[in-house]
Amino acid sequence: MEEAAKKGRVTPLASLFPVEEAQKAVRRVHETLSEKESELDRFRGFISDNTNLINLVQKLPEGLHHNIMVPFGKAAFFPGRLIHTNEFLVLLGEGYHVERTSKQTVEILKRRGKALQSQVESLKATMQDLKAEASFFGITASEAAEGLVEIREDYVEENFTERESQSGPPKEHPPSFSEADKVKVAVEDEEYSCMVSRLDELEKAEYEAGYGNETHEDIENVAVSDEEYARMMSRLDEIEKEPETECGNERDEDEKIKADFDQSSDQISLDKINRFSEEYQSRKLLEQTKDKKSATEETLDKRDTQKDLTDRLNCTGLTVQSRPKEEMSHGKGLVHGIMKSTPLEKALVLPEVKENVQAASSLRSEAPLQDSKPGFDSRKAFTGSIIERAHNMQTSSSQQAATSSQSTVTQPSKPVSRFKMQRR
Amino acid sequence: MDSFRQEKVQRYEEFVDKRLKPDLVRAIAERDKVFEQQKTFSDLRKNIENLEKNSVTSLRTMVNLGSEVYMQADVPDTRHIFVDIGLGFHVEFTWSEALNFISLREEKLARQIEEYTRLIASIKAHIKLVCEGIRELLQLPADGSLQGPVF
Repeated sequence: MEEAAKKGRVTPLASLFPVEEAQKAVRRVHETLSEKESELDRFRGFISDNTNLINLVQKLPEGLHHNIMVPFGKAAFFPGRLIHTNEFLVLLGEGYHVERTSKQTVEILKRRGKALQSQVESLKATMQDLKAEASFFGITASEAAEGLVEIREDYVEENFTERESQSGPPKEHPPSFSEADKVKVAVEDEEYSCMVSRLDELEKAEYEAGYGNETHEDIENVAVSDEEYARMMSRLDEIEKEPETECGNERDEDEKIKADFDQSSDQISLDKINRFSEEYQSRKLLEQTKDKKSATEETLDKRDTQKDLTDRLNCTGLTVQSRPKEEMSHGKGLVHGIMKSTPLEKALVLPEVKENVQAASSLRSEAPLQDSKPGFDSRKAFTGSIIERAHNMQTSSSQQAATSSQSTVTQPSKPVSRFKMQRR
Repeated sequence: MDSFRQEKVQRYEEFVDKRLKPDLVRAIAERDKVFEQQKTFSDLRKNIENLEKNSVTSLRTMVNLGSEVYMQADVPDTRHIFVDIGLGFHVEFTWSEALNFISLREEKLARQIEEYTRLIASIKAHIKLVCEGIRELLQLPADGSLQGPVF
């Protein structure tokens, strides 16, 4: 109790907002409200006048002339008639009158009606606000009368920040990257955009290759573009995924994967891409660490992004996988097995991991059971997209035919759409 | 004694604020209305005299349909005019008859105005009287410069 007394302050609401004052405020707001009400009535009158006039103006040209009492001053009339029933003189304002036909006059009047309507709407909104205000004041008054108290206690955050600073950064901050990060942070955005532009280039090249059948000048570029592209995409996805993964472990695996890539494929451009990706990755890591310092809901976030990620993977079907923490146990085993196989196979199995992710997020216990089952399907699913590389690899086209049901992207003839989808 | 006097002063003040002043405002508003009527009739008289002088028998004018939308109107015969005689009744007059009526009406309106003016003056006098009473109750010196509310 003593501590609480030291920390917090208790103020009765009545001392902050005296009951009489609150009631006075309520009364005042109600006065304003009634004023607005009368104004609204006035506007309604205008609107009804306007609609009546519109009807009249529409009806008048129906007859050649109408017998009326012509006003002569305010107190006298002459018997007479309206003539030229399709000619109206309308005041535009500022003493300017204009001659209009019935139709044009109706248009003018309708515009006026619209303006009135909008005014009425705004007035209604104001009244709504005032009502809310009045009810708020009323509640405050009644609460103050009931003797409600406000308890205010200062928020002490030392403990929290200390704990965070101890646990947070070292875990996620790999020392090997930390130096490089600081230097690179400034240029990374540039590099990323450079990478994207390179991707664009490749995309264009492939498009041309697809239709021009490698008759373009830079045949070399086209020839490698597909493979290059596939790798780049995988790297990109990897990179994008990176922030969601647990860095320490995942990074190692990524390195491994990268090594695999390097070994199996001697693409010249791959190195460059890897460099890009590494840098980008490191930036992501840095960002991540920054984020995590403050974020207590990291796991929650991760779960969300993971879900998002798996969605994306469903579309692409060609990526290295990120795994949530819980997944690591059996997911790692899978991946390690994959490492030994060719990059193609590795890529094939990876969707399986994705399946695991999905399964794990929903029902974690059953995840191992499902490993085997979706494996083949996802394999099939992948073959659809691996056809992309068919220029060089010439993998079985029969497999491709078999994919139809599961593959998400099965159109090598139309690669452009796939690019766009993957890059979205 | 003091509290009794206080009470009395308050009652007088209330009488001034809640009875006499609203009465005064109302009387002034009534008189303004009559003034307006007087003006309408004098305008009408001038217009009819104008018509007479120029011997206008047919007339073309613009009629306000509302919201400042006008339409042309034709009056084939101006010698018969319908004049508002009050309570929503209109009587068909010739010009001379109308002029006759208007002069009678103007006379009556002038009388009404005078009445209202007298009423207003008396209300003002009452207010002044009560204020004077309050002053006496408070035993303030009758100050020439400080003459209570001025209307």
